[in-house]
Amino acid sequence: MSIKLAVLFAMILVAFAFLGIRLFIINRDNGDKYKKRVLSQQAYDSVTIPAKRGDIVDRNNTKIAVSQKVYNVCIDSKTLNKDEGANIESTITALFSTPVTFNYTKDELRSYIMANPDSQYRIIAKKQSYESVSEIMNMVNNPTMYPDFKGVWLEDTYVRQYPYNSLACDVIGFVQGDNEGAYGLEEFYNDTLVGTNGREYGYLNDDENLERTLKPAQDGKTLVTSIDVNIQSIVEKNILAFNEEHRNEAREGAGSSNTGVIIMNPNNGEILAMASYPTFNLNDPRNTDNLEVQVELDPEKFGLMNGILDGNTDLEGLDDSEIAEAVRKMAEENKAAEEIGINTGETNPEETKPEEGADSEGQNEGGDIDINVGDGAQDETGSAEGSPDDPYAGMTYAQAYEKAYEDAKMEALNALWKNFCINSTYEPGSTMKPFTMAAGLEEGILKGDESYVCNGVLEIGGHEIHCSNRLGHGTLTFAGALEQSCNVAFMKIGAVIGKSVFMKYNQLFNFGLKTNIDLTGEALTNSLVFDINTMTPTDLAISSFGQGFNVTMIQMISGYCSLINGGYYYKPHIVTKILDSAGGTVETIEPRILKQTVSEETSRKIRELCVGVVDNGTGKSARPAGYRIGGKTGTAEKYPRDKHNYVVSFMAFAPAENPEIVCYVVVDEPNTGNQAVSKYAAVLCKDILTEVLPYMGIFQTEELTEKEAEELAEKQQEFSKGSTGEEEGVEVEGEIIVDQDGNNDAQSSDGSGAITFVDENGNELDEEDTTGKKIEIDPATGYAIDPTSGILLDPQTGAPIEPTSDLEDAGL
Amino acid sequence: MQMSQQNNNPKKKTKYFFDYTMLFIVVFLLLFGLVMLYSTSSYEANIKFDDPAFYFRKQAIASAIGIGVMLFLMLIDYHFVQRFAFLAYVVSLILIILVLTPLGYEAGGARRWLNLGMSLQPAEVAKLALIVFFASVVCKFKDAIKGKKGFLFVLGLAIPHAICVLTITQNLSSAIIIFCIVLMMLFVATPQYKEYFIMGAAAIALAVIIVLLVKYDVIPTSISYRFARIKAWMDPESYAANKGFQTLQALYAIGSGDFFGKGLGESIQKLGYLPEAQNDMIFSIICEELGLFGAFAIILLFMLLIWRFLVIANNAQDMFGALLVVGVMAHISIQVILNIAVVTNTIPNTGITLPFISYGGSSIVFLLAEMGLVLSVSRSIRLEG
Repeated sequence: MSIKLAVLFAMILVAFAFLGIRLFIINRDNGDKYKKRVLSQQAYDSVTIPAKRGDIVDRNNTKIAVSQKVYNVCIDSKTLNKDEGANIESTITALFSTPVTFNYTKDELRSYIMANPDSQYRIIAKKQSYESVSEIMNMVNNPTMYPDFKGVWLEDTYVRQYPYNSLACDVIGFVQGDNEGAYGLEEFYNDTLVGTNGREYGYLNDDENLERTLKPAQDGKTLVTSIDVNIQSIVEKNILAFNEEHRNEAREGAGSSNTGVIIMNPNNGEILAMASYPTFNLNDPRNTDNLEVQVELDPEKFGLMNGILDGNTDLEGLDDSEIAEAVRKMAEENKAAEEIGINTGETNPEETKPEEGADSEGQNEGGDIDINVGDGAQDETGSAEGSPDDPYAGMTYAQAYEKAYEDAKMEALNALWKNFCINSTYEPGSTMKPFTMAAGLEEGILKGDESYVCNGVLEIGGHEIHCSNRLGHGTLTFAGALEQSCNVAFMKIGAVIGKSVFMKYNQLFNFGLKTNIDLTGEALTNSLVFDINTMTPTDLAISSFGQGFNVTMIQMISGYCSLINGGYYYKPHIVTKILDSAGGTVETIEPRILKQTVSEETSRKIRELCVGVVDNGTGKSARPAGYRIGGKTGTAEKYPRDKHNYVVSFMAFAPAENPEIVCYVVVDEPNTGNQAVSKYAAVLCKDILTEVLPYMGIFQTEELTEKEAEELAEKQQEFSKGSTGEEEGVEVEGEIIVDQDGNNDAQSSDGSGAITFVDENGNELDEEDTTGKKIEIDPATGYAIDPTSGILLDPQTGAPIEPTSDLEDAGL
Repeated sequence: MQMSQQNNNPKKKTKYFFDYTMLFIVVFLLLFGLVMLYSTSSYEANIKFDDPAFYFRKQAIASAIGIGVMLFLMLIDYHFVQRFAFLAYVVSLILIILVLTPLGYEAGGARRWLNLGMSLQPAEVAKLALIVFFASVVCKFKDAIKGKKGFLFVLGLAIPHAICVLTITQNLSSAIIIFCIVLMMLFVATPQYKEYFIMGAAAIALAVIIVLLVKYDVIPTSISYRFARIKAWMDPESYAANKGFQTLQALYAIGSGDFFGKGLGESIQKLGYLPEAQNDMIFSIICEELGLFGAFAIILLFMLLIWRFLVIANNAQDMFGALLVVGVMAHISIQVILNIAVVTNTIPNTGITLPFISYGGSSIVFLLAEMGLVLSVSRSIRLEG
């Protein structure tokens, strides 16, 4: 027995020895390889700690964009499925007893957990506030108190919020996707705002030991802007009032295709307000409900009109516009269906169509009739057979329809998100005239004592170019030329100063160049201005009164600020200070003078001349009661000229003696019978200044007339009631500004030289009308009334108010 | 180390042996096991139960109970247990069958446990019960087992347990261990060699045939996960995602340990990479943290323990005592060898724990009971007089 035991023991020893050798061999042969494997399969499982995006505040530290910490509720199915899923029910019950709204119902959540036992990360409720998740947080943090609550955790994240919704939407921009700024300050200062995400991660130290380290997130920096929320609100309120007042007046839609206003401090280049219309809600930028530009499907573009016509008897016999309307309705229904989660296509009028569509298809394919497997009409083969370059080729009707709708929607949204004030270019019209004068004065070519005779037309370079007043302004003084915005006088001035001086000053005023304002999306206009080498006398003539070349609003106002502030061209800017997350100043952005455009003396003269425009000339309607301001009207005809669409504008500064603000109003295609009435812009400017000047603590210097006092009292009452005060605008004294322009711009591609312009005129009719003509003014519309026929006339030309082909006008 | 102890009878002055060496080794292994268990399990316990000492505490309590049982059995005369040999045989079989009743419960995907106020693994009971039972049976039939009939009859007595453990609890490794313990006890108790070598050769041939059949896909792995494990054993890298994962991670742990290891508590593989690190795979973590040096030291300790068993068995007062010790020796050595063989991928993966060190309450209590029996046998050795 003891021998047997010894044998057994020996066998055991052999086995042990064998295993010992095995261990040794594993280490010797694979030690290095396995060491690397161990290191390489380390996930260093790091957790991102999101950085808080910096706030954006206005000049008074009112928050206009903030990041709010919110929580995602996540579940770990793997943990929940442990212990035979003993904690699933208790956890689900506990979750649903909290106020959080989950993306799942109880049953869905249960079946998800059961079906995905390996999932360790699933968000079941997104972006919940602290209040709503506080109960869950308590349960997560006290596992000993809630032992049957498992596999749930909270993930920190931030949401961007804009407390004022649509206020200053163009300036602020929004955030999309992964904390990426889109448009405006959010995009321009994205790197400053975004901060640096922190991480909690594990790593192996020198001894190959796993260590955990926390690198805290660096929150983004705060932008202090020069925007004043109150001024911005005043501006937007008045823009809205204007657009509502003229809604559906001459055409369907808002009171203008766009309205832009910038208020700027001429003494440092700070933007106090910048707004355009239409606006959008920054908290919901993709909402299409308020799109002024309706999402319409252009039947031709859609390429499916034939199919609809073929298939849909409802549409037979309708004219184009009715069809377009029907298609638009379909689009809306499509959208509505989409929103409530129904397959698009099901609720559409095209329901009648599929059979026919299938029929025709069937014929093409030799009688085969497709059997559709999908649900609803979605898969119906429509008759969308297009040519090879048809973007909808190969799609079913519903798919093509959806694509067309989505394309149209994105196009409309992109247009909406753009900042009109810096992105859109247009011909400035008569607001250019002070610049032309300043060039002549500065160079000493003009003395200020010249006089000009206007016969209503001037022939330059073989073209007859009319003044806004076709009857002619008669003899005008130097100041009178600006006050009456006489195109003929300015063509003469242009000819006197010559194109080299004119273009030199255009460059000084930055036309054709970017202002480099700190916003994303500023348009580059270098190809939209005249080239001195190819500039003709006609080009010079029309550009002297602001036609033929394009500018942006920000260029105009920045240049104008230098014109009236003593000649100092400040770089326009919005951000004045950058703060770190603790509130310490990181950077102060001082006003930057880029150049001197004109001398103090010239600047003073221009100020006086512009004050004259408001005191005596075309700008009267812009004067806010009790204040003396300077300004200049503008009316420019848009391309194509035969559509008679106009951009009307007003550039004002206040107070007259020592300007503290400059306000520039541009109304693109006012929705009125005759668009060429710069009064619309002037009155809007007055409405804005009437509220902004007192807010800024600028005192009234002028005595109020009885009427003004009345109006003001009325307005103040409205302010206190918080209404929009829309009665204003309409009955402004009968000042009519009709401009004309003609022009042809240097870049016109037709190259034929066939410039059909025409006449122009500008002026205003009233007692001081220098031409001495007295024309009665219709008090309701402000139009002149033909003394014999009683028809409303264009006051300057005497023509009936319907624009005729040769009556195009340009700014005064 | 050998110390004398005074008998109660002052007249006789007989000196008895007590194996302090063995006691020391057992206590050392037990404490070492607790340290390693804490090191391996604290990470997972913290994640799972929010309590790094979760496994450690349960194991420590089981160890305390086990020490109590050991001391009790050590102090009584081991012949006392002989009376319960048949009872133990029957009761242990019933306990295995009870797993089928609602008393049984499942953990880690296998239904192997009984809930009798405290959790109990009947397979562990069966090992101890069969050691006692077969020591008793072999003593009774010590002549009969020299013949073929008697031998097969006695061997056959192990079959009910082995079959039940295999079929009811789906525990192949425990069935093999039970069978091998009995076989080793018979081997020691009988003079012949040839039969055992034939049996051994037959078993090896069968294993080789099965492996080859699996390798060349004659037996599809879909029949049983055990065949899949054989495939994974032959080429763990190809099955790294599932069946070979645990084995491969164990090899990584062993291979990355070097000679002196990464240091106690510094294992990376235990941080969620190696499944069952505190259980079947604890030896690989020992290799990772303490290196080959630590692993060899542990193997040496087990060898010393087995050597003590050898000494005690050789000097036991009677055959029953000797066979008890042989059974325990067989049990410990088979488990240690198979465990290390699995961890080093020398044999296909099967769940065998490392005695005294792996996590498992039933296992530790019954192992210490066995130690108590062995120490009791050692106490009966008369040194002189």
